[in-house]
Amino acid sequence: MLSYLARRFLGLLLTLLAVSFVIFLVLKVLPGDPAQVILGINAKPAELERLRAELGLNKPVHLQYGSWLFGFFRGNMGQSFFYEKGVGELIRSRLAVTLPLTLFATLLSTSVAIPLGTFAATKKGKLGDYGVIALSQIGISIPAFWLGMLGLLFFSVQFNLLPSGGFPGWGTNPLGSIRSLVLPAATLAVIQSAALTRLTRSSTLDVLSRDYVSTARGKGLREARVIYKHVLGNSLISVLTLIGLQIGQLLAGAVVIEMVFHLPGLGRLLVLAVQQRDLQLVQGIVTVLVGAIIVINFLVDMTYSWLDPRIRLS
Amino acid sequence: MIFSSRKKALVLVLVFLTFVTLSGLAETEKPVRGGELTVALPTEPPGLDPTTNTAAVIDRVLYNNVYQGLVRVNRNGEVVPALAREWEVASDGTLYRFHLKQGVKFHDGSKFTAEDVVFSLNRVRGGEVSVPNPEYFEPIEAVRAPDPLTVEILLSRPNSSFLFNLARGDSVILPEGGSNLTTHPVGTGPFEFVNWKRGSSVTLERFEGYYEEELPYLDRVVFKFIGDPSTRIAGLRSGGIDAIAYLNSPENAISIKESPSLKVLEGVTTWEVILSMNNSREPFSDPLVRKAINYAIDRNEVIEGATFGFGEPIGSLMSPSNPNYLDLAWLYPHDPDRAKELLKQAGYSEGFEATLTLPSTYDLSLRSGKIVADQLEKVGIKLDIQKVSWAQWLERVFKNASYDLTVIGHAEAFDISIYGNPDYYFRYDNERLQEVLSRAGREMDDSRRGKLYAVAQWIIAEDVPSAFLFSAPSLPAMRETVKNWWKDYPLPVVDVTRVWKES
Repeated sequence: MLSYLARRFLGLLLTLLAVSFVIFLVLKVLPGDPAQVILGINAKPAELERLRAELGLNKPVHLQYGSWLFGFFRGNMGQSFFYEKGVGELIRSRLAVTLPLTLFATLLSTSVAIPLGTFAATKKGKLGDYGVIALSQIGISIPAFWLGMLGLLFFSVQFNLLPSGGFPGWGTNPLGSIRSLVLPAATLAVIQSAALTRLTRSSTLDVLSRDYVSTARGKGLREARVIYKHVLGNSLISVLTLIGLQIGQLLAGAVVIEMVFHLPGLGRLLVLAVQQRDLQLVQGIVTVLVGAIIVINFLVDMTYSWLDPRIRLS
Repeated sequence: MIFSSRKKALVLVLVFLTFVTLSGLAETEKPVRGGELTVALPTEPPGLDPTTNTAAVIDRVLYNNVYQGLVRVNRNGEVVPALAREWEVASDGTLYRFHLKQGVKFHDGSKFTAEDVVFSLNRVRGGEVSVPNPEYFEPIEAVRAPDPLTVEILLSRPNSSFLFNLARGDSVILPEGGSNLTTHPVGTGPFEFVNWKRGSSVTLERFEGYYEEELPYLDRVVFKFIGDPSTRIAGLRSGGIDAIAYLNSPENAISIKESPSLKVLEGVTTWEVILSMNNSREPFSDPLVRKAINYAIDRNEVIEGATFGFGEPIGSLMSPSNPNYLDLAWLYPHDPDRAKELLKQAGYSEGFEATLTLPSTYDLSLRSGKIVADQLEKVGIKLDIQKVSWAQWLERVFKNASYDLTVIGHAEAFDISIYGNPDYYFRYDNERLQEVLSRAGREMDDSRRGKLYAVAQWIIAEDVPSAFLFSAPSLPAMRETVKNWWKDYPLPVVDVTRVWKES
């Protein structure tokens, strides 16, 4: 087990290193000069040159990457050109929105999708099954921004039940912060649970056709107990994989919803950083994201063996 | 003038009525003190120092609200006193003497003196910091403070735009030795900076030590940065937002105007949307081709399609909000047959192909560009549209002039002189125009300078180095209770100093 952990950790480090290097190269090759973006279209070449020097942009490329890497391993992720603030601090402040939003959306979507998918599987070919399939088909086809807009118009403009976007901050207004996450999390959950429901249904159906389920039924167990004790644990393995993927996606991919609800999340920060050619900020965010996704994958692997003791980590 | 007695009576009644209406107006329009105003802006400022970064949104948040210069631009586009109460200009135009207001304090409590002016102007001209528009300060030879309430600025040569340049956000006065100004601005304005929540908002609060005692009317102003137009409008409708500083989605103006609790002001801006041509490239180096393109474009159709009819057609690079503005949009009416004829004369009877580079970040440019491409196709000019990001546009089009055509909004106030710079991305080299513009730049007499700018506008409108499309509308949208908002934007600013809210 220990050697397994060590190998996973080494893998994490190497992936991070490779990713950060690729991102660095891509940003270097992309056209666009941060100094020009900052000073705009009237700046004189001498002014641009001075700002480039100030930002450390005229050093050789390998030195720029080297100093970033050196800083990173000492916990210093550099400065954002755009915000003139530490990258680490910026990412932390955005995670304070993105992490709760991701968790909230995932909790909502799994608590809807797993019961619904299982229910549909047990009612295969009946009205309930078709109902669930139809619902999830709608959920898969609706674009997130449109659903978000509808929610906004309905709950905020029409009935004034929830704020129309924005995030007051945990420190100043904890209750308001929760309220402002309700609509975006619900929107994300609708989209996510649609795919999750379908997967739960199909993998439950798969397990239901196994011999040991027939045996369990044969020995006279009640159906509820069959499902709960013998089916769920096995059918959840593929569902968990999807949940892991979805969490990774939400960390940076909720950007459309962040736009619609005007939330200061990690996705919007990344988009802004790319637009502004804010090199260190892009690198910091991407590195953190890749790290997070690797950790999530690892946690998902761990839960496999917890759900199904036959799976050994080695 | 002799009136019959009946007419006299009528005149008296009219005078009386006018008087009653005016006094009635004055009564209902008495500003209310207090309250919080939430203003939505589509983009977030990159740092909060208007002197070192070109982004217009910095001025929008801070200009005259937090930071003031010696002079400022008012809602009519005129240069009026701000920190200076009055000034004299030497007859040869090379010495400006400013007399400063007394009792002015910075938000950190320190006293504002002439030394702060010396510090601020030397900072932006001295090469300590990188500034986006060094030419504003380049004419300055020396800045000195003979006493704490007087500032003298010596110029190396007369410069007629100097006073206007001092009124820009680039020239605001910072406290001597101030630090962290990009994240924590300290000015002399009626509002002081409270906080900046990255990715979300900037909050300003009434500065109790402000020298004009009745100002500001509002207690607090929150600028929220909301990128999505529908979200901004949902906020306005649900009451979370009091005002949208400008609608960059003009189609929404129509539905907002229909709502009884909301209003939209239709004014002009300094944002001129133009079709820039690369004058150093074939076939745009040929004036016949440029004229043909101008005849091929139907400006009203562009305005209808891009801004739903808001916005004014222009014929040169001057904002209708500028006192020197001359309406020249009629010079090239929409005439496709004339365009084809000119193309034939230029040797392109079969038309030609070219690329149109469009910055994908600017909606107005995108929409206008697509319509223009369609109009040009009708006279045989086939355009290949290439969408690029803003950073790419700056690199490719602006810096390297590696483009044929592009549609872009020029937002700087009073920027006609860019046509006098042959290295500018238009690559337009016209000696006569350069001469007129440089004379206008030295001319200190207002009426003679006005005439020179009129001549410059004529030359540009006639020779069409670019095709001028329209001046973008201001379109601030707000709740009916928000009063005294600027209708026109002669600078890209959101000056809320005198804005108030009906309770």
